[in-house]
Amino acid sequence: MIKGFNHKLEQQPAPAFFVRGPSSFARLAFFSALSIALIATDSRLQYLTALRQDLVALLQPLQTVANAPAQLYRNTDEYFTAHHNLLNQNRQFKQQLLKQDAALQRLSTLMLENEHLRNLLQANKALEESSIVGEIVHIGRDPFTKKVIVNRGDNDHVVAGAAVVDAVGVIGQVTRTYSGSSEVTLITDTSLAIPIQVERNGLRAIAFGHGRDQTLDLPFLPANVDIRRGDVLVTSGIDGVYPAGLKVASVTEVKISADSPFARIVGVPTGGVENHSQVLLVSLAHSEMWEGDEVITTPKASTKKTRVKPAPATNNPSKIHAPQ
Amino acid sequence: MHPSKLQSLCLSLLIAYIAILLPWSGIGLTLRPDFLLLVIIFWMIRAPNLCNIGTAWGVGLLMDLASGGVFGQYALAYTIAAFFAATYQRRLVLFNHYQQLLYVFLLLLTSQISLLVLKMFTGSQPAGWQYFLPSISGVLLWRIALMLGLKTGARSSGA
Repeated sequence: MIKGFNHKLEQQPAPAFFVRGPSSFARLAFFSALSIALIATDSRLQYLTALRQDLVALLQPLQTVANAPAQLYRNTDEYFTAHHNLLNQNRQFKQQLLKQDAALQRLSTLMLENEHLRNLLQANKALEESSIVGEIVHIGRDPFTKKVIVNRGDNDHVVAGAAVVDAVGVIGQVTRTYSGSSEVTLITDTSLAIPIQVERNGLRAIAFGHGRDQTLDLPFLPANVDIRRGDVLVTSGIDGVYPAGLKVASVTEVKISADSPFARIVGVPTGGVENHSQVLLVSLAHSEMWEGDEVITTPKASTKKTRVKPAPATNNPSKIHAPQ
Repeated sequence: MHPSKLQSLCLSLLIAYIAILLPWSGIGLTLRPDFLLLVIIFWMIRAPNLCNIGTAWGVGLLMDLASGGVFGQYALAYTIAAFFAATYQRRLVLFNHYQQLLYVFLLLLTSQISLLVLKMFTGSQPAGWQYFLPSISGVLLWRIALMLGLKTGARSSGA
């Protein structure tokens, strides 16, 4: 009888209050170690890139669900837009088209002339670029980095390293591609550097993102550098990432202090980094065109900080300046 | 064990994750509370046998995926917050609503501070004070949830 009673006692499961498994400290140690291992692997080695791409592809349906309300709002908003608004817009676009058509006509003759001259000089042909229009799906969720997600990815042949521009200037560079979307690091991000040229005098330099506020820095330029407030900075095109001649920023501040050999130069991006939704992803043709010549590969950006800087010359920015 | 509870745990995590995935921008992004961590804390208080530090770690990985940052950052931050949640879980029944709010606030802050430290290690720019706003909005959300009748195991302040 007593034996049976004991047996019964043993059969009873312990109350859930006491069932805890390993102590919480052991769990903390285990999972912390696991996290730190993951952080180290992901930030220093490239093993997890493919895994991340697959997982993001799995997340796509959830993302679609999450985007649905905003999409619905936008669609209904568009649907109810007043008639005369559309007419006005249409008229505007027509005028714009006319102007641009005229400019384009001149451009085509110029291009022909340019090609002819290049042939005469036996210079390399300028790189041809392929481009694709994308839409910004959402702003990156990490407050520490300046990133946006664009709805074009591997399926549309977007490659990491492609430049991203809008109608008024450079926005950034594709740093990671997924199957249906890609991650664009903005030029204001600290990890991105962009080779630029002052439009007024052709001086070359490198602009670095400033991170917190929407500005770019031009470090390591001597105090007597010929850059003034209001100068327009355009891409120089020597990096093989950004097509030459796109507007990047305009200089807003040039400060020269007696205690530093370098000038402090700050620019504000001309591209609507934060306020456009349509962007153009431009990837320069790769080195196949350059056969016979020295092979110049387009540097691909990656998540690694040191590799994001596009031009090899970034290792020593001070070497790039035009001779003073 | 409690199939219904397990279902609601998964469902609430899914909803919180979709809330994170919403296209936040501008002020919304600055203020966005950490829905996933709030749900994790809630379940660690309500059902510690279902939701433990391991769950928090897994959910942190999902958050890493959504944020696009280095894998393991959110996972570690959530693990640390969940550790403190687990340590003081039994004491929590003695807390009233306001003490519980403070406790939740401290947990949110813990995860944010650990994330900040990790980000600094991986070479990010220091963020401004606005960085800590999600903790405050998170606590406000918790308060609203309490007012709407969510039972978080705390004694009502009148009792």
